[in-house]
Amino acid sequence: MLRFLATRFAGMLVVLAIVAVLVFVLTRAASGDPVSVLLGDQATAADIARVQKEYGLDKPLPVQFGYWLREVLQGNLGQSIFLQRPVAQALLERAEPTTLLSLMAVAIAALIGLPCGIVSAVLRGSWIDQLFTGVAMLGASIPSFWFGIVLIQLFAVSLGWFPVSGYGAPDAAFGERLHALMLPATVLGILNSALIIRFTRASMLDVLGEDYVRTARSKGLSETVVVLKHALRNALVPIVTVLGLTAALMIGGAVVTETVFGLPGVGSLVVNAVLRRDYPVIQGALLVIAGIYVLINFSIDLLYAVVDPRVKV
Amino acid sequence: MFAATSRRALFGAALLAALCGAVPAQAQAPRTHATLAMVAEPQTLDPMASTADLVGTIMQHVYETLYTFDAKWNVVPMLAESMPKVSADGKTYAIALRRGVMLHSGRELTADDVVASLQRWMAQSPRGKALGNVVDSLVAKGPQAIEIVLKEPYAPLLSQLALPSGMAAIMAKESIASPLKDFVGTGPYRFKERKPDQYVLLTRFEQYSARKEPANGYGGKREALIEELRFVPVPNASTRVEGSLAGQYDFADLLPTEALPRLEKAAGKTVPVMTPAFGFPYLVFNTKEGVAASQAVRQAIQIALGEGEMLAAGFGDTRFFVAEGNHFPKGSPFYATGGTEQYNQRNAPKAKEAAAKAGYKGEPIRVLTSRQYDFHYNMALLMAEQLKRAGFKVELNVVDWATLVQRRNDAKLWDIYVTHSGQFPEPMLSPPQLGDGAPGWWDTPAKKAALQAFNTASDPAKRGALWGKVQEIVYTEVPYVNVGKFNGLSAKSPALDNYQPATWPYFWNAKIK
Repeated sequence: MLRFLATRFAGMLVVLAIVAVLVFVLTRAASGDPVSVLLGDQATAADIARVQKEYGLDKPLPVQFGYWLREVLQGNLGQSIFLQRPVAQALLERAEPTTLLSLMAVAIAALIGLPCGIVSAVLRGSWIDQLFTGVAMLGASIPSFWFGIVLIQLFAVSLGWFPVSGYGAPDAAFGERLHALMLPATVLGILNSALIIRFTRASMLDVLGEDYVRTARSKGLSETVVVLKHALRNALVPIVTVLGLTAALMIGGAVVTETVFGLPGVGSLVVNAVLRRDYPVIQGALLVIAGIYVLINFSIDLLYAVVDPRVKV
Repeated sequence: MFAATSRRALFGAALLAALCGAVPAQAQAPRTHATLAMVAEPQTLDPMASTADLVGTIMQHVYETLYTFDAKWNVVPMLAESMPKVSADGKTYAIALRRGVMLHSGRELTADDVVASLQRWMAQSPRGKALGNVVDSLVAKGPQAIEIVLKEPYAPLLSQLALPSGMAAIMAKESIASPLKDFVGTGPYRFKERKPDQYVLLTRFEQYSARKEPANGYGGKREALIEELRFVPVPNASTRVEGSLAGQYDFADLLPTEALPRLEKAAGKTVPVMTPAFGFPYLVFNTKEGVAASQAVRQAIQIALGEGEMLAAGFGDTRFFVAEGNHFPKGSPFYATGGTEQYNQRNAPKAKEAAAKAGYKGEPIRVLTSRQYDFHYNMALLMAEQLKRAGFKVELNVVDWATLVQRRNDAKLWDIYVTHSGQFPEPMLSPPQLGDGAPGWWDTPAKKAALQAFNTASDPAKRGALWGKVQEIVYTEVPYVNVGKFNGLSAKSPALDNYQPATWPYFWNAKIK
């Protein structure tokens, strides 16, 4: 077990090291200059050179990488060029809306996806199944920015139920913040429910064909008990994995939705950082997001090993 | 069992109610704040560090300048007591400060603060630095006056001191640092809090000392009638439009012109605001390297351009642009017609002939543009077609803004780039190509002579005619092409009262009904 842990952990470090190098090289390989953006249209070449020096951007790339790596190894992600605060602090401030948004979206996705998937599987081949499958296909193909704008026009502009954008007023209570997250969470939830529907349907179909389900039926149990108690429990394991991964994906991937709804989350932080070439923020955020992914994968590997004796440790 | 279920149901119902209905109830109490949707997160809050308009727009509420502009773009005193006493040779400016002006730290403003602030501005701000080159000395004359001595007469001095972008902001001496951490000014609002990508909060400064003259443009009496200003970045233009239509913002800056019909129909929720002669798009030519380094080729390109068509492509509705060759609108002291016969020719055959005569051999003309602003891109597309029709080969390089501002500094990478500027009251403030060293690297004896004459004439009446000469040379040497003027579109809530449209929107004297 210890050796398994050690090798997995070493692998994790290797992945993170590769990510660090890639992130650094890719951000610098893209053209563009944060200082020209910072100083505005009237800045002279001399001003730009002076400020580049202040931020150490005049040094050769390997030297800059060395500095950055040294800091990162000491747990310091650096200082943002534009936000006047450390990258770690900027990330922490953005974690709340993004985490809440992901959780709400996954909850909505599950609330839609599970029942629809189950019904589809049970009534396989019926018009209801075809309807749900069709809707799922549609959901997977709609671009989130378009869907977001449509929901904004309907529920925020015409009906006035929700704010158009933002994360509540500066002095907003927690309830108001959740209220502001409802529309974006609905967009993400509905779009992601497509995947859950398909997964639930497939997983249920597998299980419904098993011998023990036939046994349960032959015992004279009602169809509801068979489906919800015997089949669903066993079908749920892969579905939960997908739900978990969906949530993890949203932490880094709700970029478009956060931008459309003006949410100050991790996704919009990264997008803004890329647009203004805030190198420390791009590097820090991507490294942290990659770290979270790797950690989740690591935990899943561990869980599999614990749950399933066939996975050798 | 029953009790547990009903409790759960109650909780669920309560949560649902909280999520759907709780917020609008707050709108009942009289509001003490205004929510202002801006185009982006400010690059910085140091008003000297950036010439970006957004930085000036926000920080002009916190910091003030010695002089400012009235509604007709005349320079009027703000922190200065009155207009300066200028010596007969036009080199010495004696400026008395208004007495009893309080800083946000609770101390009275003195000449030492002013000198320290202007020194920082001349050392750090791109605009201040240009001015620093002509300043011989800057000293305090007692606690309430300063003196600026110039190496040679420099007419744009007061306009430079007045401009909100790249601002010559007067700050408390002890707050001066790089980077700036405390924002201690004299303005009607104090800095309260910044949460990047969420808001910048400014709150009323109770000890503000206003001028006695009635409000006029940026000048005269300023009064913070709204207790708190909330500048909120809403980078997505459609979101700014929808937010206005939903009545979520008291002000939304720079909306796409296509949104006007919808804004006009949204009675009761929002009111469109037009800012006339808001700015001008311009094309900068690389006069140093590449195919456009030849003046004759640049002239041929100018003949091919149809600026009216380009503006139509960029702004659509004719209510939003004016196609005219004079760089300053009628009524401005700098209105001049010199060279304007070169404007909006759109003459492909003549351009083809001129290009052949100039020795143009089909080298690609590399046009650098971005989609940061849709009108840049749309105008560039149309320009490319106009040039192709005149036999030019065009290579359109569409990059993002951060890339454009970097690449334009390298003479090897481009021939023309597309940008725009606010319409400023003083020619020397924009475009930067009138100064030295800006991308395009325009530097000719004719430019130097014309600008020398323009900048050293201290008589304002003569400067108008002298600008005509400069404009003529711009049309002859084609270092840049001023495409025309466009109007800005914003929106305000019906509750926001007494808002005056301005290039840098300001919210003192405005109130919430």
